[in-house]
Amino acid sequence: MESLFAQLVVLESSLVLIFGLVLLWRRRVPAYVSAFTWQSLVLGAVALTVGWFGRERELYFIGGLLVLVKGVAIPRLLGRMERRFASEREIAPYVNTATSLLVAGLLVLFGYAIMRPVVAASDLPTRAGMPLAMGLVLVSLFVVVSRKKALTQVVGFLMLENGIALLAILGTYGIPLIVELGVFLDALMGFLVMQIFVYRIHSTFETIDVDQLDRLRH
Amino acid sequence: MARGALALLQGLLVLALAPGVVGLVRWLKARLQNRRGAPAWQPYFELRKLFGKEVVVSENASWLFRAAPYVVFVSTAAAALLVPVLAVPLPIDAVGDLLVVVYLLLLGTVFLALAGLDPGSAFGGMGSSREMTVAALAEPTVALAIFALALSAGSTNLGQIVARTMSDPAAALSPGHLLAFAALFVVMIAETGRMPVDNPATHLELTMIHEAMVLEYSGRYLALIEWAAALKLLVFFALLGNLFVPWGVAVVLTPAALALALASLVGKLAVLAVAVALLETRVAKLRLFRVPELLSASFVLALLAVTSSFLSR
Repeated sequence: MESLFAQLVVLESSLVLIFGLVLLWRRRVPAYVSAFTWQSLVLGAVALTVGWFGRERELYFIGGLLVLVKGVAIPRLLGRMERRFASEREIAPYVNTATSLLVAGLLVLFGYAIMRPVVAASDLPTRAGMPLAMGLVLVSLFVVVSRKKALTQVVGFLMLENGIALLAILGTYGIPLIVELGVFLDALMGFLVMQIFVYRIHSTFETIDVDQLDRLRH
Repeated sequence: MARGALALLQGLLVLALAPGVVGLVRWLKARLQNRRGAPAWQPYFELRKLFGKEVVVSENASWLFRAAPYVVFVSTAAAALLVPVLAVPLPIDAVGDLLVVVYLLLLGTVFLALAGLDPGSAFGGMGSSREMTVAALAEPTVALAIFALALSAGSTNLGQIVARTMSDPAAALSPGHLLAFAALFVVMIAETGRMPVDNPATHLELTMIHEAMVLEYSGRYLALIEWAAALKLLVFFALLGNLFVPWGVAVVLTPAALALALASLVGKLAVLAVAVALLETRVAKLRLFRVPELLSASFVLALLAVTSSFLSR
């Protein structure tokens, strides 16, 4: 039972990480959004798995909320934004795809390295997934800094949030529900604020390429 | 003794089966594209026809051009002998492990690229340069994906890897194995010149790789190269099917176990053929400049596979 739990959790955590890596290989904004959607759905599955095997009722609730907010609501909003900026579908990264994939691989290794002591100190069956969550956090930070379009940076930020949520679920079987709700609300608010920003950037500069932001006149 | 004979028999089986697998993929692809398609045994007729044809060799070509088809065929056939197909362990396991298989395949690739350069045709040189680019990027991935398997089995010996996975079925679902499988699948597509990387169905495309190299070949040389290419596909199929999902491979040499092994082999080959045909129907060919990106993605997968099998040993 214990080993099945551990296997399932590691499998799902790797899937979550892989959707993060898939993002680096894709080129267009819709592909980014769909990778994020799948990632959130799998993250919801992680919460349900941990809830089932760890007998934590609250995690069912959190899993459901994850699926609803990050798997359905935010992707829809992202999709709407994406249609609005349809002329800027191609993503122009600062770092080319092959290099970013290699960098991401190294970042995941780094995640393994820094989580070693934590994993060694933990005796939870979910511990094997924690380095993967850390890797996802690092990879999404990299997405935020290496992509030019504001929209893709938003997706990177949301993935970062997913990584932190995964770490919380795996490391502590979920933080108290009230905190989790606060985080959700924060993420949603942050997303809405960013959405407004993106629209403002677009209406001021007529592009969502953040490289253009140093151009003060228009 | 019986096991030695079986190793030989299994080599012959692979040689005989290889063109059929290519034919099956072609037929499935045709059906998926609403064409009637040639029957799966068509490649056998093609091989027989090619063996009967006269050989035309460019007058600029050196001995290398004539030797290359034999090197390609023999090295691929040797690799095919080492791959676990029907039963493990076999005495031939002592001859070579996974690394030998990989580098035997690479030896064939190198000679084919040299042969593409040799007659001095423009297309051949382009094909060779592309093939080398792809091979240079694919080879570290294969090595890493294999290390991921070898690490969890504690040996690079193919027979032992199979036996180890069979004794511990949960290992087949571990992330290390799954990632390594994905990485090796992508590499298989690149190495055997299948659709998103290369188009095996045409001679008339500027971005072709494999077909560009073999453009100058004819007659029995072409037959040997085509046969070797089919063999390479089968070797990769057998690696993917038997290393990652080893159930069905015979451990004892009873007729029942061998019959089951044969049936499961055919089943696995059919499943992989369907997967390849579906993929080839669904995706468009990648731009040549995106191929390195695909291969670096598979390299990262293999890297993660090694990391996770290393840490979860």
